[in-house]
Parts: sequence; C-alpha cells; structure tokens
Amino acid sequence: MRIFHNYLFLLYFLCCTITASAAQPELLEPEKAFRFSARVLDASNIEVRYQIADGYYLYRERFAFAAEPAAVKLGVAQIPQGKIKKDEFFGEVQTHRGELTIVVPVEAAADGKVSLTATSQGCADVGVCYVPMESKIQLAMSGAAAGGAAGTTAAVRDAADPLSRILSQPENSKPALSATTSNAAAEDSRIAALFQGGFWLLIASFFGFGLLLSFTPCVLPMIPILSGIIVGRGAAVTRMHGFVLSAAYVLGMAVAYAIAGVAAGLSGAMLSAALQNPWVLGSFALVFVILAMSMFGLYELQMPANLQSRLSDTSNRLPGGKYTGVFAMGVLSALIVGPCVAAPLAGALLYISQSRDGVLGGAALFAMALGMGVPLLVVGASAGTLLPKAGSWMDAVKRFFGVLLIATAIYMVSPVIPLAAQMLAWAALLIVSAVYLRVIDPLPQHAHGFQRFGKGVGVIALLAGAAFMVGAFSGAKDILRPLSGLIAGETAPAAGETLFKRVINSTELDTAIKAAAGRPVLLDFYADWCVSCKEMERFTFTDVQVKQRLAGMVKVQVDVTANNAEHQALLKRFRLFGPPGIIFFDKNGKEISGLRVIGFQNAERFSGVLDEVLKF
Amino acid sequence: MSNRILRYSLYTFIALTAFGAGLWMSGSRQAGAPEVTASEALLALALPDLQGKPQRLDQWRGKVLVVNFWATWCAPCREEIPIFVKMQEKYGAKGLQFVGISIDQVDKTQEFARNFSINYPNLIGTIDTVEISRQAGNKRRVLPYTIILDRKGEIAVTEMGGLTQEKLESIVKSLL
Repeated sequence: MRIFHNYLFLLYFLCCTITASAAQPELLEPEKAFRFSARVLDASNIEVRYQIADGYYLYRERFAFAAEPAAVKLGVAQIPQGKIKKDEFFGEVQTHRGELTIVVPVEAAADGKVSLTATSQGCADVGVCYVPMESKIQLAMSGAAAGGAAGTTAAVRDAADPLSRILSQPENSKPALSATTSNAAAEDSRIAALFQGGFWLLIASFFGFGLLLSFTPCVLPMIPILSGIIVGRGAAVTRMHGFVLSAAYVLGMAVAYAIAGVAAGLSGAMLSAALQNPWVLGSFALVFVILAMSMFGLYELQMPANLQSRLSDTSNRLPGGKYTGVFAMGVLSALIVGPCVAAPLAGALLYISQSRDGVLGGAALFAMALGMGVPLLVVGASAGTLLPKAGSWMDAVKRFFGVLLIATAIYMVSPVIPLAAQMLAWAALLIVSAVYLRVIDPLPQHAHGFQRFGKGVGVIALLAGAAFMVGAFSGAKDILRPLSGLIAGETAPAAGETLFKRVINSTELDTAIKAAAGRPVLLDFYADWCVSCKEMERFTFTDVQVKQRLAGMVKVQVDVTANNAEHQALLKRFRLFGPPGIIFFDKNGKEISGLRVIGFQNAERFSGVLDEVLKF
Repeated sequence: MSNRILRYSLYTFIALTAFGAGLWMSGSRQAGAPEVTASEALLALALPDLQGKPQRLDQWRGKVLVVNFWATWCAPCREEIPIFVKMQEKYGAKGLQFVGISIDQVDKTQEFARNFSINYPNLIGTIDTVEISRQAGNKRRVLPYTIILDRKGEIAVTEMGGLTQEKLESIVKSLL
C-alpha cells in the first residue's frame, strides 16, 4: 500500500494549485483577478503561478521578484512568451492570460527558508489597469515536503517600492533589449509551458496512478468476469472482437469512476468515510469471498440461464447491441472493486474535492479507471490466449486467484475488525492453502518439479499460518510481529494512546495550540478506518529518530472516526477531506503552510519534515 | 422565584452595560479619527510636479477641477489624454482645470507629457496616492480614475476607466 501513498503524495505535489477560474461581472479585487501561488519546484527553483481571471491580463515585462533574507540569491525568472500586443508608447508588449507559470531559480541560504516577494501588474479588458500588486510567500527550499501552495499574502502596499521595482527594469524602457532576453529564455519557457498544461498533467498522473492500481489484487476479480464474457462469446473470438469487448467493459468501469469523481469534485464531501464504513467493507469482502468460492470450483460463476438469455435478447435489441451488456458489467465491476481500492481512491478523491471542480474530478477518475483497465485490455486483445484454457494447470491458477481474492477480502476488512480476528483469518487462509498445496500428504516418488516447489511454498505458508495462530491466541499487538506476545517483558509499542493528546473540536484545538506556548504543534487527523494512519502509528511514530524530534513538540490528535458535525467542522477548517492529514503549527500557533503531510511517510522522510518544522 | 428575578435582572444589567460599552467604544473610535471627506483629502494633497516643486491641489479651488489618476504604463489611461488636452484648450478660459496625477516615474511622465503636448499640470504620485482615490470610490485601486470637483470643491462625478469626449463635455458643461 505504501507505494500508493507515495504516489498520491507526488500527485498532490503536482496538482495542488489547480482551481477553477471564472468570469466575474464586477471588477475583481487584484488578489482575485490575479490569483498568486508559489511552490518549491526542486532544491533550486521556485514555481510561481498566476491564475488570471477571464477578461484580465498581466504584462510580461512588469514582473519583478525579490527575496529575503539577503543571503538568498534569485536567478533570472523564466517567464513564458506572452501574446504580443502593439502599444504606441512602449512598442510591442507581451501579455499573459489564463494560467501563467514562472520558474524562478533560487540559491537558498543554509536553512532553506525563502521569503519571496513577487510584483506583478495587470489590467482588465474593460479598460482599467491595476496598480502593481505585491504578493509575498514563505517557502522552505528542501523540496522534501513542500506539498501545498503555501499561504500567501497579497497586498498592494509599500509606497513607491513595488512601482519602482517593476518600472526600473531595463527591459521596460527599451523594448528591443527585452526581445533579445526573451529569445534566450525561450527554450526554458517552452519547458515551463509544458507544466502550464496543469489539466493534462493531472489527467496523465491519474492514468499512471490507475496503472499502478492495476497491479493490486483489486483488479483480479475483474479478470474472471471479463474472461467469462469473452469466452462466453464462443470459441471463435477474434483478437479485435476481444479487444472491443474488453474496451466496452473498461469504459463501463471508467464511467462509474468518473461519476464518483464528479460527485467528489462537486461535493467535496467525506466520501471515503462512507466507502469505508464497516458494513460496506464487510459486504464487499463477502462478495470477494463468494467470487473466490467460484475460483475454488465450488460453483460455476454464471447468471441463471433464463436471465442470461433474456439479458442478451434485450441487449441485442438495443442500439449498440451486445456491448451494452458488457458495458453494464463494467459499471457493476467498478462498484465491486471500488471499496478494494478505497484507501488510494480516497486519497485521489481528496485532491479532486479540493479543486471543487466536477469536470476535473470526472476526467481524472475516468483516466484513472482507464489506467486500471490496461491489463484488462491486454487480456481481451489476447482473445483469451493469455488465459489458461483447460486442464489442471488452469485449476491451479484459478485456485491461486481464489486465495488472492480471500486475502484481498481480509485486507479490506482489516481496518474494522480486531487484530486477533485478523490474525485468525490470515492463519486460516494460509493453513488451508498449505493443505491444498499438499503439505501434509507425501509427494509421489517421482514428483514433478512444480509439485515440489508448490510443497515448499506450502510449508512456508503453513509455518506463517501457525505463527499467526499463535499470535492470535497469545495476544500479539502487531500483525507483523505475531510472536511478540511470547517474548517475556516485551512491551508492545502503544504509539497512539500515549503519544497524542486527544482533542474533539476546534475550540479544544485552539486551547491546545495556545497552551503549547512557544512550542510547535503537530495536529494529526486519525480514524479507525484509516490505513495509512495506522501505518504511521506503527512504523513512523515508533521510530527513534522521529521520537527524538517529536519530543519538543506538542502532539495533538483528532479522531474523526465518528465523523460528527464537530469533526466535519475541523476538517473543513483545514480544508481536509478526511484523514490522513498531519498539520503543523509554528511557535506562534500559525499553521506552517506547505509542510502538511498527507498519506503515509516512512520514518526517514517524516524526520525530514519534522526538521523543517523545527526550523520555524 | 425571587432568585430567578434577581438572576434575570442581573443578565439584563450585564447586557445593557455591554451595549453601552459597545456604543461608547464605537463612538470614541469615530471621534478618534474625525471623518475627512474625500474631496477635502484630495484638495489637501501636495505632490511634486514635473520640476519637483510641491503643488497643492487646493490652489485650483473655485475652478471645475478634473483630477485624473493615470500612468504611462497604463494603456487605457494614455488613450484619454488627447481628449483632456483638447478639453483644456477649449474650456480652460471658462474655468476648467485638468490635473494629472501620474503614478509613475518623473522621467517617463515628462517624456510622455512632451510627446503628447500636455497643456495642464501633472503631479507625481505613488501607490499611496491612489489610496486617496479609494476614498472617493476607487475600491479596486485601478487606473485611470477621474474625479471631477465642482467650483465649491465638492466631488461631482467620479469615473473609473476611460472617458469619452461626449461624456466629459456634458459633465463639464453642466458644472461650468
């Protein structure tokens, strides 16, 4: 799971500043007409972004950047080419509309802290110009965790300072000079322009994310469903036909996800909590177990014959014919698999919901589902040749799939069932699988190499299963250390209970922050169903390095499992969609923007973040 | 019973005290910063002209005064300047006075004034000067912004964005 969290983090990093811009009838405030944000691109570059409202534009020649403290050096800002506009006084000037991304090279001081002041000047199409706008932002140049667009203060102030700053640039008085400078920077700005396509970058990221998800067992139940469909069409399925069928299936799945994405984009609600309710998880786990039973040959996975014929009759009469049924199966499959990928999906929905953009949300999840469907398309295009046809070999593969399905079911419900029950479930699965691998029966004298290999795997499974069994009965506290209950004097790391002070609402949080009196505060959003929260507790908060750094901080936790009105208010206050989320406050009780931790981080990376926090 | 009456009268007393305190606070805050009308603030302004000599705007009191906030870097501002030049020539003798407040650098303003043969005084302002126009309704602090004062020194018309000659002429005629 961790790899997904990492990937999600990357996604977050890439798409944090995407918001919708819309035309406004009245003249906008400069801060709204030219929405400023900036983030750390890498160790030596800051990316400044202006989202320019429709009907407004910024002058390319009138940007100025300054940084504090004095030790910070800024390079030449790489401003993309703008649209050329004839100006009778200045000659040709370039203007920017829509979204503008500027890369500012920076040589940070030792502590990495940079206070950037960006000056910009723009006008509205209605025929007025704004006085130069100054936008300030605090950034930490480590790149380690600078996730979000940090909180900014945009202000028009400071007398002649911003004015002279943008007016005294040499390019300004001599347009010819400006032209040569921009040519030199053209190559860089072309690269920067690539990043300007925020929308497509996001879509591509989600597609890649879906591809990653397709390597999880969550996609497995779809393979027998799909192969059932393809094989059900008869033996003479051509490659093209198989591909089209699976494409229809994948499209159905993608549409279902797109709807979820639109819903998340529009509502911004805590959809993940709904998806991760014990009853929902339990019933879907049950579906997985039932599917697994079919893999074990306990029954044949098929719709009742008369229903099947009626369905195919109906779908044949429909325009689009038989593909409609396949499409519908795709939609249904998405619903089945949805909760399996709930944890990473919740993360994906989190980013989308922050954008509050239905189109973006739908498109992103559509792309993700297409990514998830790539292996299915491959299976379909092979017209079943990639799937084992018949014989004992196919039975073995089917059983293996069945075991994986049950494992997925256990994994799905693990956040909501007691640890001992989890261990017993794993023990049962491993031991029964081991028995099927003929661990107990003697092998025939001239056994096939595969049989011997299978037995070896079986023995490992048997031992592991036994260990889980022992763990369940000896009260082990950690699923990865099932025998720890046996070791005398071993105290299980009880991270969550002792480390954090629990708060239940905004008022209590403010009190806790005030009481911190000069110490930084860590606020952790937690829920029982949040897998990465538990991973953080188990692996990260227990680490010695992390503990050392945490010692000087006030640690506060909100358990939002119940998701009541106060919890929702708290989540809303921090624009969070749900846990996981760790937020830091500086010595003055102000949130340190750009250092939020969303999703799992290992001890090493989290220590890096804590180091950043301690610098504030 | 009497206990309850006592409690309610205590609440009422506290509420009234708080109300009174609030009134007094708001009153004293207003008293602390006496209301200066936008026109007075504007007329009290003293800014350097293109030769660097400070000029007070109230020296043109008694005339119909058109104060134009502009800058050379503002394209829509530059477009209306020729209209102003024409109007100053036509109605100057009848008591119309244009004054430009340029939110810009002196040399650029000088060059522009020469190129466009501006026949009325220009003063050099800063971003803070724009703040004055804000009091007169320039909420978003944009340029061009034009404030027209009548002969008594009261604000008659404010205009955001460029002015057409017809519109300006009809306003000016009614004030002269």
